[in-house]
Amino acid sequence: MTDWPAAFEAELLRLGVQPGRARRLADETTQQAAETAGAPGEVFGPAHLYARHLVAELSAPAAAPGRTRFEAGPVMLSLAGVGKRYRRQTVFSGVDLTVRGGEVAAIVGANGCGKSTLLRICAGLTRPSAGTVKRTPRVGLVPQDGGTAGWLTAEEHFTLFGSAAGLVSGRARSTGVHLATRLAWRPARQQRAQQMSGGTRQKLNLVLGELHAPDLLLLDEPYQGFDQGTYVDFWQQVFAWRDAGRAIVVVTHLLHDLQNVDHVLDLGER
Amino acid sequence: MTPRPWLHGFLDLCLLAMLRERADYGYGLSQRLAAAGVADVPGGTLYPALLRLEEQSLATPSWAPSEAGPRRKYYAITGAGLDVLGGQADDWRRFRDGVDSLLSPSAVRHD
Amino acid sequence: MTTLVVASLSAREVGRRWVALALVVALPFWFYLVRRDATGQSLRMLTLGIGWAISTLTLFVVNASRGVDPRLRLTGASVISIIGGRLLAMTGVGVGLALGYWVLTVVDQEVRHPWAAALMMLLSAVVAAPFGSLIGALLPRELEGALALLSVVAVQMLADPAGLTAKLMPFWSTREVGTYAVDGGPTTMVWHGLAHAGATWLLCAGATLAIFHWRLRLVRYPEP
Repeated sequence: MTDWPAAFEAELLRLGVQPGRARRLADETTQQAAETAGAPGEVFGPAHLYARHLVAELSAPAAAPGRTRFEAGPVMLSLAGVGKRYRRQTVFSGVDLTVRGGEVAAIVGANGCGKSTLLRICAGLTRPSAGTVKRTPRVGLVPQDGGTAGWLTAEEHFTLFGSAAGLVSGRARSTGVHLATRLAWRPARQQRAQQMSGGTRQKLNLVLGELHAPDLLLLDEPYQGFDQGTYVDFWQQVFAWRDAGRAIVVVTHLLHDLQNVDHVLDLGER
Repeated sequence: MTPRPWLHGFLDLCLLAMLRERADYGYGLSQRLAAAGVADVPGGTLYPALLRLEEQSLATPSWAPSEAGPRRKYYAITGAGLDVLGGQADDWRRFRDGVDSLLSPSAVRHD
Repeated sequence: MTTLVVASLSAREVGRRWVALALVVALPFWFYLVRRDATGQSLRMLTLGIGWAISTLTLFVVNASRGVDPRLRLTGASVISIIGGRLLAMTGVGVGLALGYWVLTVVDQEVRHPWAAALMMLLSAVVAAPFGSLIGALLPRELEGALALLSVVAVQMLADPAGLTAKLMPFWSTREVGTYAVDGGPTTMVWHGLAHAGATWLLCAGATLAIFHWRLRLVRYPEP
């Protein structure tokens, strides 16, 4: 790919880097790749993803053991007095929650208390019966199960979801494959979603949720079926998203996940 | 090789330590890290870390021609870099001693 | 753009369900074979078979994508590009099937107006795609949908062609054009057939779109 530096510079500009600085970073990055005698795409991966990564890294404070936390960014999601009723049965009521960029919120509670319903309300797939919701327009949803087409491969999913977000096929696929490697997953070319293990299908779900670089990620117990190593990768990924300034809402029933999150909403207690 | 998450917090420390010894460029640093048996750091991790050191004035860059190929960006450690290195090295030793004491069987008989 | 991607991936999806695909491709052939001795009957049965096959296949495709559709909407796809892409793909599969069988009948039978026979089979395939998707939109499970399609085709097959019931059936148009193709007659029959097919297509496609517009609607929230 000869236009790697151009694509990289364009993405830096889109991310708000000053033009002169973007040009300098693009030049340097090309030269750094030349040091290792590789094409930039081979050394750093897809241009737009490396641009995002670099911007996130540069805006981070000095990495030391016990990395300091981010300043919270703009509000990405706010719920005020939100409730849901099905006919006469109240599922929950009076839910308040505000999540800013750079924050993680966890929704906890027993089975059947409406965690998934609340997440669907946040996404806009279900209308709340009461209360007001304000939300950033760019949102990604990772459902608990389903959400994939059984007869399509991972890369075809990337193409499909990419086209929904306005990405051309090649770029959608390279983005998807790159995001997959962060979850320690290399999608097999021929494998269809229905042939994947539960954990792998959930990784596909996660990648599809963030393919279009949303500002707010809504995750519904997305690690079911993950083995221990992947489970750790998953939380590292959540914190990497947070450190890149995104807002994350995770539905979970595992209490030991909660020590690192910024907000805990207990639906069961209400 | 070291698992990647372990290195995450200590990459800056390793880079500063190597720069204290002598100024170097990116690829040279990654080879030194590999030769020391610390980690095989991919370019996508190494170069952002170097840029961050530069932006925080812990290292200063200078361009030098190479015998073959494009010119290289050499980094040299600054006074501020030396200070940070000193502090982080202390942190590291405390951390390493703590882990060692937990790992060694004699730790059981300490008290 | 999205429409074409959805269309090509839906076609690929269908191609992979090759057992279902083989059965569906073969189905009109059995219909045809049973009455091969009578040109008119065999052609009518074959055409009905094509309609049934394509509507069933469309039903499967619509049902298989239930989990994906809301997420595609959230990612930014419009309802019309999702539904339109799928209809496009299934219409393409249907047109291919119809043309294949048309070649068979032209070689194997004496047909008075071969072009009308082609039109009859194409109409069947083109109407079948939105009809199958409408059934899929109304009945969420594959078995229920397949049984509903079976009932419609059975009624279509058995109803008195001159009666009102037959005219209300989705594939009445193919019978009308088919009679002209085999036995000849006034060309108004072809026009009636075309009008019926057009109306059926608009009704089924419109209703499918309306149902999915409602089902895949997103609540619009103000920005914080």
